[in-house]
Amino acid sequence: MSAPVPSDHDDAVAGLATNLLAEGLETVRRAPPGVLVVFGASGDLTHRKLLPALESLSRRRLLPAAFAMIGVARTEMSDDGFRDVMASAVPDAGPGWAEIIKNSVYITGEYAHPDTFDALQRRLRELDESVGTGGNRTYYLATVPDVFGEVAQALGKVGLNQPTEGGTARLVIEKPFGRDRETARQLDSTLHSVFDEDQIYRIDHYLGKETVQNVLALRFANAIFEPLWNRNYIDHVQVTVAETVGVEKRGSFYEKAGALRDIVQNHVMQVLSLTLMEPPGSVDAEGIRGEKVKALRSVVVPEHSAVPNIAVRAQYDSGWVEGNAVPGYRQEEGVSRDSETETYVALKLAVDNWRWAGVPIYVRTGKRLPKRVTEVSLQFKEVPHLAFPKEAARGLHPNALVVRVQPDEGVTLRFGAKVPGQAFVVRDVLMDFSYGAAFLEAPPDAYERLLLDAMAGDPTLFIRSDEVDTAWGIVQPLLEVWADGGAPLAGYGAGSWGPRPADALLERDGRKWRTP
Amino acid sequence: MADALTTLAPSAPGEPTAVQTWTNEHSSLNEVLTALPELRRRAAGREAGTRTAVMTVVMVSDGSDEAEAAATSVRSIGAHHPCRAIILRPDPDSTPAIDAKACLWRAEPPSSAGHPVFFEELHMRIGGQAAAHLASIVGPFVLADLPVVIWLPGQVPDPADPLLRLASTVVVDTRTVSDLPGSLGHSYRTLLELANHGPVVDLSWVRLQPWRELLAGLFEPEHNRRFLSGVRLATVEGKPGPRHILGGWLMAQLDLRARELVLRDAKHVDIRLDTVSDGEEGTFQVSRDEGARAVWAKASFSSGLSHSQALPLPNDSLTSALAAAVSNLQADRVWEHALSSAAALAA
Repeated sequence: MSAPVPSDHDDAVAGLATNLLAEGLETVRRAPPGVLVVFGASGDLTHRKLLPALESLSRRRLLPAAFAMIGVARTEMSDDGFRDVMASAVPDAGPGWAEIIKNSVYITGEYAHPDTFDALQRRLRELDESVGTGGNRTYYLATVPDVFGEVAQALGKVGLNQPTEGGTARLVIEKPFGRDRETARQLDSTLHSVFDEDQIYRIDHYLGKETVQNVLALRFANAIFEPLWNRNYIDHVQVTVAETVGVEKRGSFYEKAGALRDIVQNHVMQVLSLTLMEPPGSVDAEGIRGEKVKALRSVVVPEHSAVPNIAVRAQYDSGWVEGNAVPGYRQEEGVSRDSETETYVALKLAVDNWRWAGVPIYVRTGKRLPKRVTEVSLQFKEVPHLAFPKEAARGLHPNALVVRVQPDEGVTLRFGAKVPGQAFVVRDVLMDFSYGAAFLEAPPDAYERLLLDAMAGDPTLFIRSDEVDTAWGIVQPLLEVWADGGAPLAGYGAGSWGPRPADALLERDGRKWRTP
Repeated sequence: MADALTTLAPSAPGEPTAVQTWTNEHSSLNEVLTALPELRRRAAGREAGTRTAVMTVVMVSDGSDEAEAAATSVRSIGAHHPCRAIILRPDPDSTPAIDAKACLWRAEPPSSAGHPVFFEELHMRIGGQAAAHLASIVGPFVLADLPVVIWLPGQVPDPADPLLRLASTVVVDTRTVSDLPGSLGHSYRTLLELANHGPVVDLSWVRLQPWRELLAGLFEPEHNRRFLSGVRLATVEGKPGPRHILGGWLMAQLDLRARELVLRDAKHVDIRLDTVSDGEEGTFQVSRDEGARAVWAKASFSSGLSHSQALPLPNDSLTSALAAAVSNLQADRVWEHALSSAAALAA
């Protein structure tokens, strides 16, 4: 290490190019001064997720002093009423929250009405002057997706889509991004008529999860895994996103969505793209997002005629989950008694590139499965020649590297070891690493991370337009074939690992699903 | 020669629980080295068979209350940064012998989904001449390939101490330096020399980070940044250690002259910058609100504009400072500049 040297920042003092007092503190990313404008501010997402995430950011000293929030919604409410809502959302808040509440205001208005946006423009100007928010605006659309385009266009009409001098204007929206490829493209077209792509931050909260980001760290911060991470060593990949819950209060929403739209098109594709992608040149937004899109583009889009052979759709019947008797999907609140909506999807995908050619990717997701788990399992090929007698290796299976995304985040490596004793018997053992056992620190909530990134202008963990489009492209043939009744809807008992046809999907290839 | 390996019952939740202990008087190093894996082997049925460790922490105790508090802190951070903690008590005037006590601790995860963390703590009282050769005692216990953090509470470490050659990072605390014999300036210069050999993490600097962050945060708006070049007077209040290091920081970062800086003795840290830019006056202050247990950062201007931010008073415990310190074991050039200026101020 070198000796302390005289400071070389004389020029910077004169030019004030940087905040010299922040030197050495940059390792912690903080939001710059600004205003967070939340549309849908009286709604559940704001109350349950956004406000607690903001308070936590404030408590962690990640928000600036010059920060304010503007709530916009149709619900009639005064500034003080909104401040009460903010206070009630975080009952045990720290003293910093009171300062943010003090700076925050509320606008009652229709999303399509110009008065709403005139009022917004006026209040933003006032906050820039009184709080010093510097013209930085983040518009968070915590509304139903149907009004995304409406709000974006209304912002454009009054010029709020354009950054003020020295400021920024960003739009944050959350999935679903359309119902299919066509509607997603329509939404994009509307948004792009007002905002540039680099102003749009599309949230899939899965990407805000620390362990999803850990897939990147595991792959690209270690030299031992990447050489094996290809068709030469890997037999197949299994991605599992399993939930124990049913549709709960979201029955009417889920009826229009189904597992393919709700999970596969977004969460699964995100996990998959991080698993399949090539090493990025740099771990910046474009480096990572570019490689993710390339990986998704390498996934073979299924032919319509092939869909019945590579995809299984199913719906849960009644059964027992975690010791509780649960109803079937069609008995759930808000669900049609003759619903054809799938609550389970199993898929076999192929990838056409040098790394993955010939390696099948099996994906399954479902509700009311026995265990809540998200994991990626890389199943390695068998050894080319087993030198031991068969009976000595009965308990031996091919190696597997399992990345557990949630819960109990970690990595497990399955390999063979000799059973102690006179006889030479080999069996599977697990080498298990748990993030929780190495770092007891609780990672930040996904919303907290993503809110901060959006305000700080880091789009790495947000989904780019071409990523959304490519992901829809992969599932589009399934949507169309299923909509035409081209695939039967199987049933599975709640609490089981899925329907029989899903098992058959792998058995045809001489494989089987692992039990997480 | 007593040698006792004990399995302990779980204790109350929240704090780490001792699951296995081993004690031995007049022990050989080999016996101690054998005892450590034995603790884990015995606890294997309680999930502690494998080790997840991120560092070795070595603390040298002089038996003072301060050192006792430091030992407790080392144990507490073991729960957050699983480590092998080695606490040495040199006792050169006593019979040549090593009395050792090893303990395997279990810390519970924050949620039921997590795994418990197991970590080892080894206390060794080193009697006789060996007390002057601690590096030879510690060497065999250092976990391979992992950082070694060495902390000598209540001392300004001697850069020539062979023990420090084992260190990837040395922990010091400039808050306590002013309580030690010798001049503040000399102590600061010794620490700077130490920093020439490898990373040094200052617990006081870590504790003061919220104040530094808050003050820096006041200059994030473009409107405010220009005031950084117009500081007429910087006033830092606090106890000798914190006020000197913060004063040194402001001098180094803002290129202030000594007459533009006032240091005052006070119970709590308070930083105030009186500035001017294009005829507009600005005051930037970070101070503590005793009643609300909060820290206030406030910028106010002669134009009438002002903004403020309040944050909970940061946890000032030794444990939280140590936990934060071992989270980043890199050299800190800004601290070195601040220390260099503080040495000049103290002189």
